[in-house]
Amino acid sequence: MVAEAKISAISPDETLEACAREIIVNYFHEMMSYKDGAKDGRDIEFVHDMRVTSRRLRNAMDNFADCFPKKSFREHYKSVKAITQAMGAVRDFDVLVDHFQKTLDALNETEQGHIRELIEHLQCEREEARKPMLTLFTKLEETGFEEQFLNFFNK
Amino acid sequence: MAKAHKISGVKPLGSYRENARIILPQKLEEVYTWEPFIRDAARREELHNMRISIKRLRYTMELFRVVYELPKACSEHAVATDDKRFAEFLAVIVDLQGILGDIHDCDVILQVLTNYTCQSALDAVVLGSLSATGKDGIAKLIDRTRETRKADYEKFIEKWEQLSAADFKQKLLSFFNITNLTGDY
Repeated sequence: MVAEAKISAISPDETLEACAREIIVNYFHEMMSYKDGAKDGRDIEFVHDMRVTSRRLRNAMDNFADCFPKKSFREHYKSVKAITQAMGAVRDFDVLVDHFQKTLDALNETEQGHIRELIEHLQCEREEARKPMLTLFTKLEETGFEEQFLNFFNK
Repeated sequence: MAKAHKISGVKPLGSYRENARIILPQKLEEVYTWEPFIRDAARREELHNMRISIKRLRYTMELFRVVYELPKACSEHAVATDDKRFAEFLAVIVDLQGILGDIHDCDVILQVLTNYTCQSALDAVVLGSLSATGKDGIAKLIDRTRETRKADYEKFIEKWEQLSAADFKQKLLSFFNITNLTGDY
């Protein structure tokens, strides 16, 4: 799991606004660093890490919302929320597949067959859940989301 | 999932330290808005919402950890004391998040298994096959998951009651509020 954010460089005596910008930008960079791995899809940890970091980013944005002009802030917040949701849809299946695979050893052969059918079903669902995630990534790339987000918060 | 409560009274041009005292108590209060529901094991949604609120509190505490770390040059003893207390409070929050996470996992697994059983039974009827209805492995997992969920819930309630008896909320609120506004120690 993603470790606690590296925000130790922040001085508690700086203004909240300055700290908020730094924290949000740091989380954003970290979140986006997992994007290629999440798109690739072979290592399930990338989706997990991107989801957790997007949650931390949203939490920071919730806390510091009053530091920023409302309209643009809300747009960026919505995009981050969409990322969390897309990641969540895929991650939920990864967790379920992992869980059911771990239960196999404690079952007899017939029972294992039933669970393997279920796992297969969940893996198909997972592939379906990846489609909106990939569509979202394409949309965010086409609309210059990353640059706009950083321009807004990185002043 | 319930939305995060709107944080009020934030001072963008105030110090980060000062705003810790404004934001952290509100995050803690959000957690306790779910307390009236948690003694009913069937309130899955509210238990889930409490988990999410606890997660938000945890992330916010981690954001403001720096506020509770005193400059080493000022007082090594004070550093150790505040750091230690912060870590202890945070460990409780992480523990609660973990137990509620286990309960939520069971709820999701039960939902998936139940849906799958219903779907399989329906498919069997449509296809005129009897084989799909006899899913012993699924039935066994449903039973086991129910037992695990029950044990996790009891563990959570026991932990919660212990914390309540120890006045955990008030202690944490006091800790958030004693932070020196000026940073002078």
